[in-house]
Amino acid sequence: MEDRKENVARKLGRGFRATLEKIKNFFLSLPARIKQKLAGAKEILTQGNGKVAASMVVMGLGQLLYRQWAKGILYLLAQLAFLAYFILKGAGDLIGFFTLGTHESNAWYGVEGDNSVIMMLMGILAIIALIFYFVIYLANVKDAYKIQCAVDTMKSPASFKKELSSLLGKNFHKTALALPIIGVCVFSVLPIIFMILIAFTNYGGTVVPPALVDWVGFENFTKILTLGQFAPTFFRIFGWNILWAVLSTFINYFAGLGLALLLNRKCVKGKTFWRLFPILAYAVPGFITLIAFKFMFSYGGPINQMITDAGGTAVGFLDIDAKWTARFIGLGVNAWLNIPSGMLLATGILSNVNTDLYEAARVDGASPWKQFVRITLPYVLFATMPVLISQFIANFNNFGIFYFLRGGLYMDGYFLASDTDLLINWLYNMSIDNNYYSIGAAISIIIFAVTSVISLAVYVLSPSYKQEETYQ
Amino acid sequence: MSKNLSAVVAHIAILLAVFIVCGLLSSVAAATDAGAAKFTGELEENATLRVLENDTAIKQGYLAELIAAFNEEYKDYHITVQDANMDQYTDLENDGPYGYGPDVLYQANDRIMRYPDGKHILPLPAEEFDCYDKISEKGWQAYRRTVAGQEYTFGIPVNVQGPLLYYRKDLLPENWESEWDDDGDGIPDMVEYWTDMYRFSKEIKEGGGGKKFGYMRSFLEPYFSVGYLYSYGGYTFGKGNTDPSDIGHSKGNAELGANIIRQLATVMDQRCIDDSVTTGAYAALASGEFFATITTPDVYTMFVDEMKAKGYTEDFIAENLVTTYIPKLPASGNLEDESQGFIECNMMGGVQGYAISSYTKYPNAALAFVKFATSYEMIKRRNELLGIVPARGDVADEVGGLSEVINNNLEAGNITVMPSIKENAQIWTPLQTLFQDLAKDAFRTGAEIKYATLDSMKEALQRVDQQIYDSIFTLQ
Amino acid sequence: MKRRKIRPKRLFGAAITYLIILAVCFVFLFPILWLVLASFSKTGSIYSFRGFFPTEYSFDSFVKLFTDTEMYNYPRWFLNTLFIALMSSLFGTTLTILTAYCMSRFRFKSRKALMKTTLILGMFPSFMTMTAVYILMTQFNLINQRWGLILIYSAGAPMGYLTQKGFFDTISISIDEAARIDGATNFQIFMRITLPLAAPMIVYTLLSSFVWPWSDFILPKLLLKNKDLYTVAVGLMALDNTEFSRFAAGSVFIAVPIVIFYFALSKFLINGLSAGAVKQ
Repeated sequence: MEDRKENVARKLGRGFRATLEKIKNFFLSLPARIKQKLAGAKEILTQGNGKVAASMVVMGLGQLLYRQWAKGILYLLAQLAFLAYFILKGAGDLIGFFTLGTHESNAWYGVEGDNSVIMMLMGILAIIALIFYFVIYLANVKDAYKIQCAVDTMKSPASFKKELSSLLGKNFHKTALALPIIGVCVFSVLPIIFMILIAFTNYGGTVVPPALVDWVGFENFTKILTLGQFAPTFFRIFGWNILWAVLSTFINYFAGLGLALLLNRKCVKGKTFWRLFPILAYAVPGFITLIAFKFMFSYGGPINQMITDAGGTAVGFLDIDAKWTARFIGLGVNAWLNIPSGMLLATGILSNVNTDLYEAARVDGASPWKQFVRITLPYVLFATMPVLISQFIANFNNFGIFYFLRGGLYMDGYFLASDTDLLINWLYNMSIDNNYYSIGAAISIIIFAVTSVISLAVYVLSPSYKQEETYQ
Repeated sequence: MSKNLSAVVAHIAILLAVFIVCGLLSSVAAATDAGAAKFTGELEENATLRVLENDTAIKQGYLAELIAAFNEEYKDYHITVQDANMDQYTDLENDGPYGYGPDVLYQANDRIMRYPDGKHILPLPAEEFDCYDKISEKGWQAYRRTVAGQEYTFGIPVNVQGPLLYYRKDLLPENWESEWDDDGDGIPDMVEYWTDMYRFSKEIKEGGGGKKFGYMRSFLEPYFSVGYLYSYGGYTFGKGNTDPSDIGHSKGNAELGANIIRQLATVMDQRCIDDSVTTGAYAALASGEFFATITTPDVYTMFVDEMKAKGYTEDFIAENLVTTYIPKLPASGNLEDESQGFIECNMMGGVQGYAISSYTKYPNAALAFVKFATSYEMIKRRNELLGIVPARGDVADEVGGLSEVINNNLEAGNITVMPSIKENAQIWTPLQTLFQDLAKDAFRTGAEIKYATLDSMKEALQRVDQQIYDSIFTLQ
Repeated sequence: MKRRKIRPKRLFGAAITYLIILAVCFVFLFPILWLVLASFSKTGSIYSFRGFFPTEYSFDSFVKLFTDTEMYNYPRWFLNTLFIALMSSLFGTTLTILTAYCMSRFRFKSRKALMKTTLILGMFPSFMTMTAVYILMTQFNLINQRWGLILIYSAGAPMGYLTQKGFFDTISISIDEAARIDGATNFQIFMRITLPLAAPMIVYTLLSSFVWPWSDFILPKLLLKNKDLYTVAVGLMALDNTEFSRFAAGSVFIAVPIVIFYFALSKFLINGLSAGAVKQ
């Protein structure tokens, strides 16, 4: 056991070092890479002819001069569309991003002023659009130069049709990933950027629209770091949060896998029926089960009623003194909620294990336990390692469990938190309950910095990242 | 090289020019000022008003009646009112500016008074209302706020919320007239004095084998528990609940109030620690498990329904389900010591009322609606259907009974209207934790007991004040 | 002789297995059973029954749930939820599977960076971004629109592609290569070979991306203001707390589609099309 612990520690250490090494290498190789890019740019600038220059002034012009109609028109349309956006909206939005509004609105007199929050969001959009614009512009120039090279060497440039068809073949991933990436950018990345930027403003408290928000630099961070009560609470909650995430991930994962294996056994008849029970747990929305569990463990709930009816004294499973009981109940309830989906996933994956392997093992006379350790486990672990990591993250940020089971407590020794709260609950108390969005954003950046390094290190180390091709 | 470079520079220059010109233009053109005064008295034609009411009013059919009556009255102006069909706790601050809020809203004073700071609701010409001089000063105060140097009224009080004691007359001891009426006023002492309620509950609990209790009520909700602190000199915010920098739950002899809570918990069972008995009280009172509890006046029908389900006749219920004002507390702060006489028990209350959103397109129609909805007839009807305590003195006097009692107690300062300032949102969690801790302490044994002395309770109260202060100011 | 020797041991093993299964099923059933019992309780309050069982049973809360729609329009909420969850499940699954497939089968320049980025993005506390999502939706005019929710759910689904990618990583690429030699495009390979092989994974994805909108209440609460557009989760939370049996009935009934969904798809989930032959 000790050995294994050391092993894990060593591995983690190696992960950190590897990550650091990568970061270092990235920066070390930066000058060389910049040089390479500059050389490419210089080549185009010196070698490009008049038609390429035309593309540099107006996108698509060079392509049109080379009689590449379809591509030229597409680039030209992009040029016009972007200009129209910038003129009508983008330019104003970009300025608004820096000022965050100058006129306060006054709803009493119907004065429609600036809404700082909208301005910030639209400003971010404008910046993203600008970046996107430059990417297209560069592609346009490169494309023009490529045509020039092809023409110069007497080769006919790739036809538009051919380039299109490559999107279903060699470049299929570009086609397939375009939509998901745009979706994630708009609905996940954009809000996250927004939140990160909020940390550098005074948004929150009394400064909410229609009041105008301002940039304040690192003020929020210095406020947190100089606040005496912050650090003790942070580390106390952080310790419990790590323990919680590790334990609950471990329990949920292996219990789910175990259940799937159990129900997969040959001797079990009516598998579909037995699997229905965990599915039932999966089918009722989580927050409802949490409310039900809270009630079951309350002083007036069925469990305490049975205890008192049997002559015992009621147990405060979740009350103010119930630190560890409440934590264990939290773990149990979380397992109850998550094992079903783990089981489903494991069942799906197990159905794909290569049965030949078992056949061979049986011929060799390997015991069922050996078959499990040598074949099933490595296979399932490999396939689900990323899941394990994303489950770790989900558990680390598990807001619902203690919010529903034991919300509304501020304990002594904690700054606006209780002893079962996870960092995310604490964050909620401070930023949503108490309205300090900018401070909350600053804290979530700190939390994020810590947690992302840990999980990234684990991920980079995992075989499913390092040797993706093992089973292919 | 230079040709290509200048091509790139030309492109960037065009882009820059676009940004500078359009950016400057847009920042100049930003603000538009309609500048119109809102209440001109001229009713907008063809207005459609969305009214947010509370769930009980919708469920009991009052809103439908109100809407029908108003639409009939104003059909010549083609003004129609409809249910906003939104959550009763809708936050105007979030939805209003984007056009998704209601035009008229009915909420409690602590919610409505979050809106004036951002000018989300309109200041109302209170003196134009016919209820202006019928509503007590305490009621109006809940809706007054000074914005930019001038005091305005932002809501029209409709309903005073204050707690009441509900008890079962038939569960009194047979001999109560001789044994439990020391002052000889024909009213059982246990519903007049907390000391007697305590003694009576203790007797029931000891003889009940864990199945019968006297007074029972969860302490978890600060709304019903903070009053004990108020009674002995504690307060929430200074300067009549308007100064958030002065938090006073530990001021005066508030620790005596904490002691009362801890003592009362001993005659209940552990269910007073969490919210187990909050919704269960209706059934428990109906089954005779509890003798008495405290809750708001508007849930009277819930008790009646539960008792009917148990097979009691309506006459029996009307006779034996009694509501009265909260008993008096011992001045000593000890439920076993009556020697220093009695003081009134203070309780937290609230005032619910109407406000008009600043984002409405029809302010004058909305004003006409609020005037209509706060008229004598409609308030009276509201009282009949919903059992609310009207803030209008004339209606309260006419219906008499508890409406009068609660209004008088509001006037006398025994009901403290919950603070109307935004910071009020930060008091609940710290207080809730404290009350849970105090109630739990009654069931702790030996070394686990935290609050054996009044000093320890005072310290706990001071910690709570500090927590509230932290959540309001430390991160500001 | 030999057969007889094995039998008792096997029987014992099977008995143990069943015992454990029964215990597990009991643990999963207990709270649900309690919810079901509460939904058949005659009185509205949960505290009116001692111990586990209600004092009196009736069908009233279910009848009320579907007929007393003046205030709480459960049938409407139910249809709203069904529509949103079905659409999000379809779109979300398509996007997720595509993403996972590309990340597993293609080697392109920014792939590893993308993988790490998505992993990190998931670590952000989601409620902190709610303000931004709300404002974004007001700008797109998608408040009080069911399609607004579907858009967010579908767009968010690919973030969880790692599970599916892990699965694709275990499918052998030798068949792909064989097909490629025969002149199939990547698109054809994906449609004709990979998708059928991934049936269990697709079912899992369909189910999990159905369950998310089905039980979420934060986003619908944020984006749907009109009570007629509520989803079941938001509606149930708005229920008065004296209406417990109706709350329980609503919670029990909401599980029905998922159970049906499960029965309809369990065949694919468990057997897949993966009997050894297709893999090397």
